This record gives sequence, structure tokens and C-alpha cells, in this order.
Amino acid sequence: MIRTLDRLTPTLSRGVTLLGVMVLIGLLPWISGRDPAMSILRARMGEQNPTPEALDAIREQLGLALGPIQHLKDWVAGLFQGDLGTSWISGTAVLPIMIEALSVSLVLMAAAFTVTVIVAVLLCWPTMRRGLKGRDTRTSGTLAASLTAMPEFMLSALSLVVFSVWLGWFPPYGWGGVAHVVLPAFALGLPGGGLLGRLVANAIAATFHERWIATWAVAGFSRYQIAWAVLRRSLPALMPQIGMIIVAMTGGAIAVELVFSIPGIGRAVLGAASSQDLPSLQAGILILLLAALTVGVVVNLIRVALLGRALGMGALPVPDLSKPAPDRRLWLVPCAVVLILLTLIALGLPRDPFTPQYMRLQPPSLALPLGADGLGRDVLARIAHGAVSTIGMALIVTLISLVIGLGMGLMPRLAIGLTEVTKATPPTIAALIVVAAMGPSAIGAVIAVSAVAWAPLAAHTAALVSEARAQPHVRIAPILGVSPLRLIPRSILPEVWGPVLRHAMLRLPGNALALAALGFLGLGSPPPSPDWGLILADALPYVERAPLAVVVPAASLALMSVLGVSLSSLSRR
Amino acid sequence: MRSIPLCALLVGLTLAGSVQAEDPRISVAMLQPPRSGLSPLSDDAFKLSRWSTAETLIRLNQDGEPQPFLATEWSRLDDHSWRFVVRPGVKFHDGTDLTSERVAAALTAATEAVPKPRILDGINMTVEVDGDAVIVRTQAVDPLVPNRLSSPQLAILAEKAYGENGVVTPTGAGTGPFVLTEINGVTSAHLDRFDDYWGERAKLSGIDADYVGDGTARGAALRTGTAHVVEAVPVSQAALVDPALIHEVPMPRTNTLYVNTNEGPLADPALRTAVREAIDRATIVRTVYEGRADEAHGLFGPALPWADPLRKPIDQVAAKAPEGTRITLGTYSDRAELPEVAVLVAHALTAAGFDVKQDVREYANIEADMLAGNFDLFILSRATVLDSGDPVSYMVSDFGCEGSFNISQLCDPAVDAALATAAGVEPGPARREAIIAAEAAILASGAAVPLLHERVIQGEAAGVSGADRDPRERTLITEHTTLAE
Repeated sequence: MIRTLDRLTPTLSRGVTLLGVMVLIGLLPWISGRDPAMSILRARMGEQNPTPEALDAIREQLGLALGPIQHLKDWVAGLFQGDLGTSWISGTAVLPIMIEALSVSLVLMAAAFTVTVIVAVLLCWPTMRRGLKGRDTRTSGTLAASLTAMPEFMLSALSLVVFSVWLGWFPPYGWGGVAHVVLPAFALGLPGGGLLGRLVANAIAATFHERWIATWAVAGFSRYQIAWAVLRRSLPALMPQIGMIIVAMTGGAIAVELVFSIPGIGRAVLGAASSQDLPSLQAGILILLLAALTVGVVVNLIRVALLGRALGMGALPVPDLSKPAPDRRLWLVPCAVVLILLTLIALGLPRDPFTPQYMRLQPPSLALPLGADGLGRDVLARIAHGAVSTIGMALIVTLISLVIGLGMGLMPRLAIGLTEVTKATPPTIAALIVVAAMGPSAIGAVIAVSAVAWAPLAAHTAALVSEARAQPHVRIAPILGVSPLRLIPRSILPEVWGPVLRHAMLRLPGNALALAALGFLGLGSPPPSPDWGLILADALPYVERAPLAVVVPAASLALMSVLGVSLSSLSRR
Repeated sequence: MRSIPLCALLVGLTLAGSVQAEDPRISVAMLQPPRSGLSPLSDDAFKLSRWSTAETLIRLNQDGEPQPFLATEWSRLDDHSWRFVVRPGVKFHDGTDLTSERVAAALTAATEAVPKPRILDGINMTVEVDGDAVIVRTQAVDPLVPNRLSSPQLAILAEKAYGENGVVTPTGAGTGPFVLTEINGVTSAHLDRFDDYWGERAKLSGIDADYVGDGTARGAALRTGTAHVVEAVPVSQAALVDPALIHEVPMPRTNTLYVNTNEGPLADPALRTAVREAIDRATIVRTVYEGRADEAHGLFGPALPWADPLRKPIDQVAAKAPEGTRITLGTYSDRAELPEVAVLVAHALTAAGFDVKQDVREYANIEADMLAGNFDLFILSRATVLDSGDPVSYMVSDFGCEGSFNISQLCDPAVDAALATAAGVEPGPARREAIIAAEAAILASGAAVPLLHERVIQGEAAGVSGADRDPRERTLITEHTTLAE
């Protein structure tokens, strides 16, 4: 009985979480504090006056007076008949519309994932070669970390300008032909490639420290065979990450969809959420979550298949704990980055970030090293003044999500549903719930982003924990009388801590951008505060006329990421 | 010498081509995707009229005066009723005939829609058939009925367009020179020429419209030649485009700083004057709009050219020093320029001695707080003449004591009296004077500081001619539009 329950835990976990989120979404119009009738009116007609007569008519038409419980009941009843209801805005059935949006998103995802894989392979290549030659496999990961820090909205706008306007290679917008897919896939796939490439490189590097490599080399296996085996050994722990990258590219491609006018599901769900079109939102979220859970299950099956019998037998190899001699060159990167950032801040801090005292988009000069922004404010001053708050807030979010992620990852079977569902929930939806609960505030953004940012870390932790538990010395521990409570800090955490910390640092700039992106709800730093995400978004429309105002904040974000990753690499076992 | 016959041959071919079905199709980049599947009972109505596919009984000329369209003539029967004669010989795109019964049914469907089209707010309209004409009755005395019937939301569509639950599908159901053949969700729409059009046959053989929400992408559409006509090129992109391809159209739209007259420190009229005097319009227009906007002298800008000559100087109470009074300034980010305007306004007010806190969100997330009067100042871009070509309903909703969009929380008997007077006057010079008198009363109250009037920048590729540059954004591609490849 208990065994059955244990086996069913992941399924139960997924089901309960799915149910919980759907109920929460169903309640959103009632708890949001925003009158749904007003939102619907706005969605249909932008300039119409919200007369009580018009609002009452809408409430009556949609049955809003019946309340959330009745609405949820009707929704569930409809669900069992395959009917997800009709849109509150257009009055047409929502399911076909959402399915069509999903099919568009799946095509985009497939193309973007191809880009991701290509980038990741290129990034892992050096590590693999060094490992096969028996050299130290540690790298600072500068390039990968920089790619990960590139925001999709910036890559979209940049690639549109460069490849469409300047070079004329691809159409600037639209959806239908192969040519339409290239630029969005590039913008969406590049940061994911950086992330995946870094994670795989880390995992490969760790595998090369396992003793069997030397045995195999002595036994005369070819480099090709060893490389294949190293990949097979390294990838299982990363399968959940690959799954999450796929999920994020399906529902989370909102920025790319907006720039290139792609009718994907991310845009559809965001539109439904902001206009409080509940049936569309419910259908969209349900589809996204089901897709995420499916991907999660498939990915887990692949992981178990790759690890094979070793996982069940408790025979996974253990890395060689002998520390390689510290390599001083690895200190070069973080020191150089700190120096650059400090110089930037020292130059900018004495300057005035708020007064519009220069010409609009004034070009750079000695007196104004980075030029002025669209309002005639000093770009250098704004970047310097925004550094502390941007880095600080992102660091707080990253640490919170690291703690939650580790905690959740240590009980993988129980938390799996929550983890998968959370990753599929767009940060926007989390932010809407936060706004509904506590109104607009700066701290609300931290809560909203932390509430979703832990999921990839938890998945990574869970995968590493299950491998750690399958190692012989951990398997034997309970028999030797080590209690489970002591086992975690002594044998499991040390195995897991390093890779997950490096992973968390890799996501630092993403968190900074996510914080800035919630400004539309009134969450996060209000204007005119010089948050890097806000500076970047403000400067983007002028990228061709004042490129430095885009390049420098983007480069600063990249430096922040490089710094985090290279510092955490130094702490490697 | 051999080139001359060749040229003649080419010219001949071109001429022949233009007569046959070789006419070009035009590609249009639209600003917004449809809100509700191109139903004319939503804002999507404006798309249908911009593509010349759906038509109304009346249309407005440049001065906002009613002209015949699907109605050939009209007359006022009494205070509450009007008679419109339906144009004979008009066919819908599905081959059925336009009759007075169809007109009455279409208008009645609009009156029963949820929510009702904004043009019908507060007038309770009913329609009945009278031979080859329809009789339109309103509960209130309303001198503007013909103007109202020009609203694209009151387009007359064929019977097949009206489905269950109030869903209206305009595919192949209009009367205009172009037939809507394909609605492709929020991506695109396609139209073909309608050969049985009652008016002049269209010069173009069709329209391909894409919805391009991103401003950079719309600029790119023009620069790469992906689209021939581009709606609303953003100011940030305009400087990058060949000046010959862009055309600025003054819009009946005013960016106004609404001042909370009821709660908070600005309930003090002397501080309201201090706010008004601190604003530097020239800097905002020059910096944020790169000169592509007009400084405001009143609530109505160059799109209503009759307004300025009627204005007289306005007396306001003397200003008081703010001495660090804390005020909140709200605006929304949906219009890219507004947050920038807010920064400049906040800076000017800080320089004048206020302590300003800004709050910028997306419109959907700030509207409720705005209407509840939770901000001391709010910057809003507002259409002043909406659909009827007449600004009184805008003034009533924004500044009337009972107004449903009264951001300033204004309740001033002098303003209400002036508005009531203006609403009752027949269209014409007398109404215009009453409107300007009401505007003066509003400005004297200090409830609104008009900042500037926007211009919409329309992009047209070389070779496009006859595309309408309509300040009301009702027309764009018409039967007269041509495209030389």
C-alpha cells in the first residue's frame, strides 16, 4: 500500500498542482481587484466611456454575478465535454484559437531549439577536447555566460534591424514561410544555447573527474567512444533543464512574438490575462501546463533510460575528489570584470542621472562619454547609479530562488508537479497574482520573480540528488547507521551545491530583466529610477541612432553574469 | 532607333495590363491586431472602414459635416425622429440587395449589442422601416443623429454576418469597393476588389493587411518595402525613414495633464495654477516628439481648425509656491511617448518646488486607480471628437460632474452649465462658440492642463497615391488608391 502510494507520488503531485493552479486562475477576476467588466469593455473598445449601464450589461451577459464557484463548476463540467467555453471578448470558442496558437508556438520552439542545440554544441566543444586530452577541464565560461545574459527582446530588435533592414535577408515580421522563422528562432535560441552550453560543459567537466575515464583510456577505448560515454553520463542530470528550455520557448516567447508579430500562445495568454478574458486564459494556461507536464514526463523517461540499470543498482560512478592544483589564470576573468564594472560606476556616480540637461540622443563626446538618452539624460550616470540596485535586487532574487530550489530539489518526488507547473507558468501570471494579493510595490516584483525562478534550480537539484543517492557510498550509508537527516548535509549537499550554485549565477541577469519587465503592472522600480532593464528597454527604439545606450547596459548585464559564473566556478570542489 | 517601338510596346503592355486583372494589390501594415475577430461592434470597426469594406449610412467630410453614403438624403421629422432614404441599387458582397429592412436590422443589432457602441451612449435609439427609408428615433433630443450614424461601428452588413450570441462576422458581407475574403486571426486579413460596387470600381485589385504591433517592425516595413502603406510610424523610427515617405496628420487627440480637483493638495486652486505655470510644452514637443506634435493652446488642436480663432484669454487664480508639496503623477506605457512626457513633466514640477512621485503601468492596470482619483496628476492621451466629429460628449464625460471618465473629479456648476448649453445647440457656428465657452470654463477651473496635440505619422511607399490621410483614422485605402510598381 505504502509502496503504491510512493510510486504514485509524482503523479499525485502533478495532478494536485495542476488543479491548484487552475482554481487560482479561475478565481483571478474576482481576487484581482480589477473589475472584469471594465477590462472586457476596454478589450472591445479602447475609448468607450465606462458608464454603469455598459458595465452592467457586460456583467449580465457574462454571468459575472454568479460568482467564481459557479463559474468554476461550469468550467469543469464543460471540460469533460471537451468544451472550454467561449471567449468573453469575441464570443467565439476558445479551444480552436488556443490550439492554433500552440501549433505556431511549437514550430517556433522547434526552430529555436535547433539553434540552442547548435550553440550548445559549439560551446561544449573546447571542454570536451580538453577533457579527452586529459587536461584541466575548468573554463571560465565567459562566452556562454554572456550569451545567457542577452535579453530576447533586445536580440529580437537587433536582429530585425541588422538582418532585415540593413542586410535585407529576412522579412521584418509575419508568419507563414521558412524565412519568417529564422530571425525569431535566432533571438529565442541564442540565450538558451548559452545556458545549455554552460550547463553541459559543467557536467562534462565533472564527468571527466570520474575514475572510469582513466580506466577506459588505459583499456584502449578510442576517444570517440569515450566522448560518447561522457555525454551519456553527463546528459541525464541535465534532461530536466532541456525540458524546461523547451517549455520556456513554447509559452515564454512573448517578447519575440511581439516584435515579429507571431501569433503564438505566449501572446494569446498574455492578451487574455491583461483583458481578463477568463475562458481564454483558462484554456491557454491549461494547454501550457499540460504541455509542460508532458515534456516533464517524457524528459524523465529519457533520463531514466539513459542512466539505465546503474541508477537502480546504486552503481553510479563517483568523481575523483582529489583537488587539481588551483589555476591562477581563472582569477583573471572575475578580477578584470570587477575592474571594468568598478571603473564604470566610479566614472558615472558623480554625474547626474535624472536631469534632462542634454539634447535628445546627444552623441557621445569627452564630456558625455556614452551620450544622452531619448530625454537628454546622461547614459553613463544612469548606468552607474542603477548598478547597485540592479545587481542587488537580482542577487536577492537569485539567492531566494537558490534556497527554495535546493529545498524543493531535495524532495524531488513530492515537488515534481509543483516544479514542472511553476516553470510553465509565465512570470506575468505569477505577477498578476502577486498584484492581486498585495497591490503594486517594489518588493512585489521580487516575490513574483522568486516565485517562478526557483523551478529550474529545483529540477536541476532533483536530478543531481537522485544521482547522488545512486552512488555506492551513499547507498551504504543507512546500513552504516547514518541517519537520513545527517546524510543530506554530509553526502548529498556537497555533491549538489557546486553545479546548482553555478546554474543560479547563470540566471542572475535573467532575473534582473524579469524584475524590470514587470513594470507594466506597477511592480519593481518605478521611473525615473535607472534600473538596467529599464534603461535597456527605453533605449531599444533608438538602437540605430544611439547604439551605445543599448550596448553598454547589455554588456553590463553580460559582465554581471560572467562575474557570477566565474566566481562560482572558483568554488569548485 | 529600335528602342522606340520597343518602348511603345512596353507602354502598350502596361496600359493593357492596368485595364485587365493585372492591377496591383496593396500591402498594409496595421498598428493593432483585431480585438474581437473584426466584429464591427468593437474598435475593429475602424479597420473595416479603413479597408473600405464596410460602409455606413452617412460619412463625414473634412470639416466633420455629414455627407450622403448609403443614405442618399435625410430629414428631421421632429425633435426625436429622423428619416434616412436608403441608396437604391446597392449590393452586398454576398449578392443580396441593400434594403431598408437590412439597414433597420443592422442598426438594431448595434443598439442591442453588449456593450453598446459608444456612439449610442445615452441616446436610446430605435429604428423602423418606412418604405425605401428608415426612421431613427431617439429618446433624448439629439441634433447629432446624422453625425452619429457615420460611426464605423454602425456599418450596415448583410444578413449572414450576424450570428448567435451577438457574434458578427464581416467576411464577404459589406457593401464597399473591397470584399473581405479571409480573416487570419491576429496575423493578417485579405481583401479583393468587389466588381459590383455601387460607386466607382476600385483601382487596386486587393488589399493584404498585416498587423504589426511593434514600432521598430513597422518602421522596418516601410524601409524594407515589405508594406506599401504603414499606419502610425513611431516618432523614434520616423527619423530613420526617407522623409518623402512619411506624412504627418494632426489628430483630434490631446495629451492632457488631468489635475485632481477634489482630493489631495491640488484641491487648492492656487497650487493648480502653480502646476499649470510650471509646464514647459515646447521642451516636451521638441524632445519627446522631435517636433512632430503641436503645442496645445486649449483642449482642441489643429484637427479642429475652427477652435483657435474663437478662444479668448482665461483668468485663473494666482499661483502659490508649492514648498515641497508631495504629489503623485501617473501615466501609462501603452503609448510609448507618455512615460517620457511624464519624466519631463515631473522634472519641471520638481524644479518648480513640488516633490513628485511617478507611477507608470500598463493602461489596463492603472485605469481603475485613475478613475478612482488616486493620483494627483495623470497624463492621458484622449481622443476629443470620438466618432461623431463633435467634442461635447468628450467634455461631458471627462469634466461633467456626473461624467463617467472624470479623472479630475471635477464638479463645478459653471462647467456643468456651459456643457449643458453646448449639448443643446444645433451643429453650426453657434454650437462651436458654445463649445469654446465650455472649454474656457474647464480651463479656468484648473482641472486640465492640455499639453500637446499628437500627429499620426503615416508611411507610404513610393508609387502609392490616393491613400487617405484621415485624422479620425476611419479611412485609409479607398477605391481611388493606386499603386505604381
